[in-house]
Amino acid sequence: MQGFEYLKPGTISELKKDLSTPGARILAGGTDIVPKMRQGIFTAPVLVDTSRVGALDFIEDQGKEVVLGALTTHQKLADSPLIQNVNPALSAAAESVGCVQTRCRGTVGGNIANASPAADTIPPLLVYDAVMYLQSLEGERTLSLEEFIKGPGSTELNPGEFIHSVSFTPLQGSWGSVFIKIGKRSGMAISVVNASAVVFLDNDGLISDTRIALGAVAPTVKRCRETEKFILGNEPSPELFNNASEICRKEITPITDIRASDKYRIHSAAVLTRRVLEQAVEQARERKS
Amino acid sequence: MNQIEVIFNLNGRETKISCDPNKTLLDVLRNDLGLTGAKDACGGEGECGACTVIFNGKPVNSCLIFIGQVIGQNITTIEGLSLKGDYHPVQKAFVEAGAVQCGYCTPGAVIATKALLDRNPQPSDQEIRDGLSGNLCRCTGYNKIVDAVQLAAREYSNG
Repeated sequence: MQGFEYLKPGTISELKKDLSTPGARILAGGTDIVPKMRQGIFTAPVLVDTSRVGALDFIEDQGKEVVLGALTTHQKLADSPLIQNVNPALSAAAESVGCVQTRCRGTVGGNIANASPAADTIPPLLVYDAVMYLQSLEGERTLSLEEFIKGPGSTELNPGEFIHSVSFTPLQGSWGSVFIKIGKRSGMAISVVNASAVVFLDNDGLISDTRIALGAVAPTVKRCRETEKFILGNEPSPELFNNASEICRKEITPITDIRASDKYRIHSAAVLTRRVLEQAVEQARERKS
Repeated sequence: MNQIEVIFNLNGRETKISCDPNKTLLDVLRNDLGLTGAKDACGGEGECGACTVIFNGKPVNSCLIFIGQVIGQNITTIEGLSLKGDYHPVQKAFVEAGAVQCGYCTPGAVIATKALLDRNPQPSDQEIRDGLSGNLCRCTGYNKIVDAVQLAAREYSNG
């Protein structure tokens, strides 16, 4: 493996300074970067290890919003009663990542920064309209998660900039929040397709708002706005969701790769869309009664 | 590349080494410290779990951890389970249940089992399978490993 200069800041201000070193790259859990560096796919003349920056490892209920520090591990997310309560989709997604060994190391900030189209934590955050909070020596800024991710492996992060946290607003009223993934097997699987949805029901049982996101079916995790528009204002029914799953097929542009063919992905995405909507409605009805 | 000094707690003892920062914990355990219990089976991709060690109470793949990340942390390897000469209840259960064939995945599976039982002393079958889903075994077909975990869980609750 190529050599690198190793820096290990202990505070956020030290992290800002170290990351401003030319050629510096950030190391969080390392579950992606370490094998990529071994294979020479990822190189860094300077590696900034964040493992001492405890101030970025937190899950906080701030009332109006729930904030996740970038260094929150998938295991911590999966184990959090707060997350199970306010974003069951995210809780399920975090639990589905890799295996316990990788969940105990991999972080939500790392998962987002990798910007994999198949990332499991992104769809449940996208359907909650999550907001990214970025910091650097120059200052700080916020932008939506949707704006943050530009393409496969590509984000809005500038050199020297890092994800401080990601936040989302808890849902109100009669809502359901679901995540489902299909992998090659049930353990240690990267998503072949994943899907997340939130659905709100009004007093008459009609769909008053909905957001749907599909992963591993486009260059980035995809919000399916046409499908959302199609079901909005309607009464949930098997027919409605079957028709919705037909519309979502046209919103996605999957590729064929080692994990699945484009046709398989389109078919699976349609099935998952129907399932996440059905389950989200079920949850919303339970909250209503 | 500047060498870094790493001090950490390994199997209950303070351990100090100087090495290049691009070494993984697995490299250092096996090549610098002579602890060859943790295995490299998948080529350092974090796919197989044969290199599992316990990092501050949690199971992790030591091939995915740069050595600098363990500074000041507590690491337990398979060698640390039988320091007093007697085998750990999980090790005994693996032997008794016949959960070992070629043995290559065994240290990782034993460590993952210990981490699971420390967290959840009475796991269900599904929880056992989830807890060991990161540990590949090509010989046993897994049933005997699940038997061993159940046996160890009974030992835990009795003792």
